[in-house]
Amino acid sequence: MEAIELHRVGKVYGKGVSKVTALHDVSFSAPAGQLSLVVGPSGSGKSTFLTIAGGLQTPTSGQVLIDGHDPATMTAKQRDHLRLTTLGFVLQSYNLHPSLTVADQFTLVDRVKKEGNLSKQELATLLAELGIADLIDKYPGQLSGGQRQRVAIARALYPNPTIVLADEPTAALDRPRVAVVGQLMQDLAKKYGKAVVVVTHDQRLTPFADRIARIEDGRLTMEK
Amino acid sequence: MFLAIREIRHSKLHSGLIVAIIALVGYLIFMLLGLMLGLAKENTAAIEQWHTQTVVLSKGANLSLSQSLIKQADLPTLKKGDSLVGQSPVVISATGKHAHKQSAQLIGLKQSQPLAKTVVITSGHRSRNANQLVLSTNLQAKGYRLSDKVRFAGSTKTYTVVGFASGAMLNMTPVIYGDLSAWQGLKGNQFAASAIFSTRKFSLTTASLKAYPVNRFVAKLPGYAAQNKTFAMMIAFLMVIAMVIIAVFLTILTMQKLPAYAVLRAQGITAATLSRAAVAQAFLLMGIGSLLSLGVTFLTTLALPTTMPFLFSWPLALAISAGLIVLGMVSALVPVRLIRRLQPLDAMS
Ligand SMILES: Nc1ncnc2c1ncn2[C@@H]1O[C@H](COP(=O)(O)OP(=O)(O)OP(=O)(O)O)[C@@H](O)[C@H]1O
Ligand SMILES: [Mg+2]
Repeated sequence: MEAIELHRVGKVYGKGVSKVTALHDVSFSAPAGQLSLVVGPSGSGKSTFLTIAGGLQTPTSGQVLIDGHDPATMTAKQRDHLRLTTLGFVLQSYNLHPSLTVADQFTLVDRVKKEGNLSKQELATLLAELGIADLIDKYPGQLSGGQRQRVAIARALYPNPTIVLADEPTAALDRPRVAVVGQLMQDLAKKYGKAVVVVTHDQRLTPFADRIARIEDGRLTMEK
Repeated sequence: MFLAIREIRHSKLHSGLIVAIIALVGYLIFMLLGLMLGLAKENTAAIEQWHTQTVVLSKGANLSLSQSLIKQADLPTLKKGDSLVGQSPVVISATGKHAHKQSAQLIGLKQSQPLAKTVVITSGHRSRNANQLVLSTNLQAKGYRLSDKVRFAGSTKTYTVVGFASGAMLNMTPVIYGDLSAWQGLKGNQFAASAIFSTRKFSLTTASLKAYPVNRFVAKLPGYAAQNKTFAMMIAFLMVIAMVIIAVFLTILTMQKLPAYAVLRAQGITAATLSRAAVAQAFLLMGIGSLLSLGVTFLTTLALPTTMPFLFSWPLALAISAGLIVLGMVSALVPVRLIRRLQPLDAMS
């Protein structure tokens, strides 16, 4: 069983003249211990692909399995729980809660998920690696876009999920930071055995990938 | 609570303003409450002072003292603790000088009966015979003086002012205490009184009379119920206004945070957790606001002159505060609806 499996998934938005087919018959699997990269130009269906793979929305056709569970057959509550415990989302719009300092962002996770989160030591290491350790008492409004993006990455990894899904995690970052994040994603797969899926149009991430898929007009082809 | 406290702490200025508004509305509510209770007490103070338990009125009077007339023939045997009271509106004037005509309420009492002894005299003395009157101090302020000769409109008989009684008012009109026979002089000798005020339970054999417990009589005092109802309505309206303020504030705050909430939802934080934060914020804002207004009200009660008709009830004020907090939490249902409608997928846009 792979961590994430998509079987012949199609997604159609809207009806009639405004109908958009965002995904065509996409089959894909992300094994644990590997960094899978899905690249494609803007509007090709990357976010659609990732949100379906993470159970945030259901496909129009086909089937999705996350850790062996089909989100389409789960209740909303069960899906909430699955996302909280198993999935780490780094979303393209990484809106951080504006009233929470960086430290509070993690405290909030502790409030709703009491166990299995990173230890203080592990969190400190992660923050240091991302170069945001000294921003801990800042509010999101006091951070730059790139700093916010790195906080969002740390926030997604803090619950120690077995599956990490990231949507353009390097969009706001410069080359050295891209390398840091690429290395981090690779380590998550290699050292901690997580299934990591990153969708991006950022070619700078390809050196870190174990597997690369290309999406174009909603059609997915494996490249590596 | 964690989220609620963080959100309030982060928007200190906005939350502070809302708490201030709630505190002001709460203060207004508590001042109205104090006035309501104070005025109600003023209405009933005299009757409470008399230790009245029963009021006997003529049956057709519809519980109104001014409409009641008891015929001599219907008068039951009186016992200790019973007092006859005659009431009639009068226009008083001083013969040949300064003091203007004034509308007043003549209260005729029998000097031997207990009620007559409860009149609080501030100057002069109680009336000792049928020709003497004691006036409310309000009339003193209008120019009436001790030993003035006065008469009632429509009558030629003159009386002497022998005393003044403090703040005596009935139906917002100054009271004149006289002998029951003065009242009979206006109404006719076939009448014994307007009413019997009694400190005991009364069983009546006369069909034309009816005995009422004092609280029913008080509730029917002119304007008493209407006044209480008006105050209660104002208080209720202010409570609703406080509720709407909280609802609007929390809704705006929540709308601003919806994108962030959507991301949290995508990360598996339940709508219930976020909803609880909104309700907890309403609780905190209303709670702090109410506490502040209670504090300011307390300070005000210390500073108020004792002559003001103001009576504060802490149990009632606390009940109102609790009501405000509950209303605030109910008003949080508006932002909660927004939160519940939010889909994790909304984080994508
Ligand atoms: N909710 C929606 N309703 C209708 N059409 C949508 C919706 N979301 C996406 N689309 C359309 O589906 C297609 C794929 O969109 P998607 O967001 O998945 O692209 P993307 O590859 O993530 O693009 P980008 O790199 O700009 O983020 C686009 O044509 C987009 O307009
Ligand atoms: Mg996208």
